[in-house]
Amino acid sequence: MSELTHASAPKRFIGGQLLGSSQLVLGVILAVLCIAISIAAPQFHSEANIIAILRQCALVLVVASGMTMLIITAEVDLSVGASLAFVGCIGMAVLNSTHSLALGMLAALAFAGGVGLFNGLVVTRLRVNSLIATIGTMMMLQGGVYLFTREAVQNHNQLASFTDLGAGYVGPVPVPVILAALIFVVAYVTLRFTTLGRYLYAVGANEKAVRLSGVRSERLKLFAFVVTGLCVGVAGMILSSLMNAGQPTAGRGFELTVIAAVILGGTSLLGGRGSLFGTLLGVLVLKVIDNGIIILGWNQDLQMVVPGVVIILATYLDIIRNRANVR
Amino acid sequence: MSVDFLHPGEGAAIDTDVPALELRGIDKRFPGVVALDNVDFTLKPGKIHALMGENGAGKSTLIKIMAGVYGKDAGTIRMRGREVDIQSPRDSLKEGIKVVFQEIALISEFTVAENIFLEGYPTGRTGSIDWKKIRADSAALFNRIGFNVDPAARTGSLPVSQQQMVEIARALAHEARVVVMDEPTSSLTPNEVSLLFTVIRRLASLGIAVVYVSHKLDEVFEIADTVTVLRDGRHISTKPIGEHSNDTLIQDMIGRRIDNLFPRQRGAAGGKVALSVEKLSTARKLDEVSFEARTGEVLGFFGLMGAGRTELAKAIVGYDPITAGTISVDGQRLTPHDTRTGVRLGIGLLTEDRKSEGLMGELPVYQNASLASLGAFARMGFIDTAKEHRAVQDYVDRFRIKTPSLFQQVKNLSGGNQQKVLISRWLMRGLKVIVVDEPTRGIDVGAKSEIFALIDRLAGEGLAVVMMTSEMPELLGLADRIAVMCEGRLTAIMSRDEATQEKILNAAIG
Repeated sequence: MSELTHASAPKRFIGGQLLGSSQLVLGVILAVLCIAISIAAPQFHSEANIIAILRQCALVLVVASGMTMLIITAEVDLSVGASLAFVGCIGMAVLNSTHSLALGMLAALAFAGGVGLFNGLVVTRLRVNSLIATIGTMMMLQGGVYLFTREAVQNHNQLASFTDLGAGYVGPVPVPVILAALIFVVAYVTLRFTTLGRYLYAVGANEKAVRLSGVRSERLKLFAFVVTGLCVGVAGMILSSLMNAGQPTAGRGFELTVIAAVILGGTSLLGGRGSLFGTLLGVLVLKVIDNGIIILGWNQDLQMVVPGVVIILATYLDIIRNRANVR
Repeated sequence: MSVDFLHPGEGAAIDTDVPALELRGIDKRFPGVVALDNVDFTLKPGKIHALMGENGAGKSTLIKIMAGVYGKDAGTIRMRGREVDIQSPRDSLKEGIKVVFQEIALISEFTVAENIFLEGYPTGRTGSIDWKKIRADSAALFNRIGFNVDPAARTGSLPVSQQQMVEIARALAHEARVVVMDEPTSSLTPNEVSLLFTVIRRLASLGIAVVYVSHKLDEVFEIADTVTVLRDGRHISTKPIGEHSNDTLIQDMIGRRIDNLFPRQRGAAGGKVALSVEKLSTARKLDEVSFEARTGEVLGFFGLMGAGRTELAKAIVGYDPITAGTISVDGQRLTPHDTRTGVRLGIGLLTEDRKSEGLMGELPVYQNASLASLGAFARMGFIDTAKEHRAVQDYVDRFRIKTPSLFQQVKNLSGGNQQKVLISRWLMRGLKVIVVDEPTRGIDVGAKSEIFALIDRLAGEGLAVVMMTSEMPELLGLADRIAVMCEGRLTAIMSRDEATQEKILNAAIG
């Protein structure tokens, strides 16, 4: 018996490789994309363009970090796009009236966190399916933002620190990229090394088992919803800084980009499976495609079409790979 | 379809020499596995033939080949001496083979009569469906098997036992020569089982060859004429039931002897009260249930389907809400009534439904084992995985959990090994009271005795074990005291010495 278990040490290695190989596929796709676009348009790998791509990624990655946690618990939040726009307007309005970045930021986080809390309570207490619950929230927010303001909330203060949030640099690195990296690392460490992270996977894999083990599973889901909300708060402020205004129309379709990146990264909508590293690759692939389409001067409407194709293709490749593993 | 099928050859002499169905040299390979290796299987008309074997022995593959669900890789199939080619379920049905699977394959929104004639509704002159005839023919079919189901009832509203009867009636409607029953009693009450047996005997008396797939020994001894045992995809033996004893049958199934299915190692029971339940009621089921369980004892709960065992199990660990009553573990009240408090006080449930309430199938063995005790391996919220792996490895060794590694997805383990992982989950946490609900459901005979030994060991180590079971041998073999439930009430508590099957059943009926 003990031979059986010891003989398996190399298997662990293989297991690790298999787990990683969905990310390997994604890594290869990313590399191929980068090389192909570079050949067609050498300006792709200019420093300015790379930084532009990273900045584009930052906004998505911030929210995708929270969304990865949430989807790992087998829930989803479709209201992040609508919330992003609303948060920008509220943050900007508070900033205008208080002249304080801290208060504006706080208001944005409080609002977005509140939206997450609301979603979480509807899902865990009222037991409404999260897909439906957050579509409801999305509609409420999309309508609600127009009750709040009919047009863009302009920036009246021109606080330097606020402008830096979206457009600033530390050395050569844009501030949003640094914020995204920070959030990514915290989320990564949490999922990978902590009991909290382990429980998030466990809840997604089997909520009843977690409850029977004496862990309050609803709280874990609630936590993931609130974290996703807070991430939207950060992203909303970055976005309004970039646009120098709170735009009620911003963020349309943003939720799809975020969820697409997470799924592309190999996180299962069924819960219990997924990784933040995959999400990072997913974000990069989507944004490199975006960038490539612009650089190559293709029709910009392809920015929606191509990622759609990529998602179906990548998921299909994943299925093939799984089948090959079962053999 | 004509009405003739209602009386084909009834009372006529049955030629028992020509096999109703003869499988010769059947091979079936799946990628990486030989599921069946040169298996022979011969059915005589009018006989009940039990097909036995552990999980993975090849029983289901064999009947799926008969049913046309799988194609065979080699071998021949003959119906009444004539070689037939079965490629699909449709072919199988056409040749007169009807398989009643565990998962009943009826359309629950249709009426019973509609289901029976699903493959071809009789039509009237205008081409419209002749509903009157369908009802009348259905009633006639039920009459033939001596069982009454309302042909106009919505199928989904019927209990499983009656749905089985509908499937059997369907078999007759197709003039089946061979009826295969796949573990038909797994969700039936004793009363329903005896009714089913009457119907099965009736089928045999009509000249139909019946295949009875089961791993319940007592049932097979009661109903079967002949027994075929498969093991690891090979044919091991075919004998008249009279030549078998419990021991020889088990030996054939697992390939070795089990000297004692219920090895009792622990000493006399009866420490201090570990669990005390008083006048516990729930909204749906339980009605003022009171009992105590002591350290070092196994308190067995018996009851028929719907008696409220599982409800009781889930209520006393804090999983399901209660409406009245108190639960105390080691003298401390279980309030607030949730599993968090339950686990903190030291009471936990080993669920009957491993897949949906116990296992995290996609996750590795070690994460499944440590789920309830993660805190013990963590410092400031960070998991010390090396420590965690060592602790889990320890249990894997001690309980002989067969897994290629700690990193194997738990869904790939056998039922018995999964159960050991779940038991480890609780032992790593350290409980005072463990509630085990149907601990050997879906577990092979060989692994069963290991699970029994583990439960015995739990009690021996000073836990109070509350065991819910519907298996009489399990109850009598393991429990120190026996509590019986009926419709949500506790109807009797007795010591094992004073317990008899009769007494228990009487209390279970109420």
